[in-house]
Amino acid sequence: MTNDTQIDSVFHAMSDMRRRVLFDRIVRTDGITVAELTEGSGVTQGAVSQHLKVLREADLIQGTPQGRRTLYHARPQGLAPLVDWLAMYETFWPARVAALRDLLKEIDE
Amino acid sequence: MNDDRSASIELTEDLPHSPEKLWKVLTTGELISRWMGLKPKGFEPVEGNEFTYQTGAAGKWDGTIHCKVLESVLNRKLVYSWKGGHAENTGYGTLLDTVVTFELSPTATGTVLKISHSGFKVPRNDTAYRNMSAGWNECAENLQSFDKEN
Repeated sequence: MTNDTQIDSVFHAMSDMRRRVLFDRIVRTDGITVAELTEGSGVTQGAVSQHLKVLREADLIQGTPQGRRTLYHARPQGLAPLVDWLAMYETFWPARVAALRDLLKEIDE
Repeated sequence: MNDDRSASIELTEDLPHSPEKLWKVLTTGELISRWMGLKPKGFEPVEGNEFTYQTGAAGKWDGTIHCKVLESVLNRKLVYSWKGGHAENTGYGTLLDTVVTFELSPTATGTVLKISHSGFKVPRNDTAYRNMSAGWNECAENLQSFDKEN
């Protein structure tokens, strides 16, 4: 089961639209550098690096040193805590329906 | 890229009971509390009616789920909003703003009930979501004891 710290870090990382946009861009590449991500983004490389750090800490991306550069790859499996979290709600309604069925039967009697 | 992703929960149930009987169970306060495990306060199956469900408080959220009937068609359809979290608690995250729909279709043997709970925004504020999940867990426990008693 996913622990709260993992859920916290993934929700936190993805709560910022700029980080979601970054993640989206990284997912579509086979590895991309911070310089490439900064180009045309309208923000400084330092700001991009900060966002990458948060994504990395949430285990949503991975940095691989390649010579003097670092290539960033997405780890979509890092989103699993969100999926697990939603699955919790999936159990709410089936349980309610089971109780509803019991109650309907009971009223018959 | 979209700001948030929306997710919904959908269930379709074939029930051997008439729409009229099912409607009664879905729209009578005392009966709702018996299958939902949550007691609705001030519920009327009338469009515009506002009511609440009370779940366990968690953190700064008092555990109140605010609902408003959006659509009510006798023996056929009930739609209400389902909002959790705390509006003034901005540092705490945005509201959980979802919609629950019950649709009843008569069949030769009873009723097909479709339940849809839509509007979950993924991802959104972490803490509000976690508070909601604490509430849900408590409901699930209540429901289990209800099942045992009955």
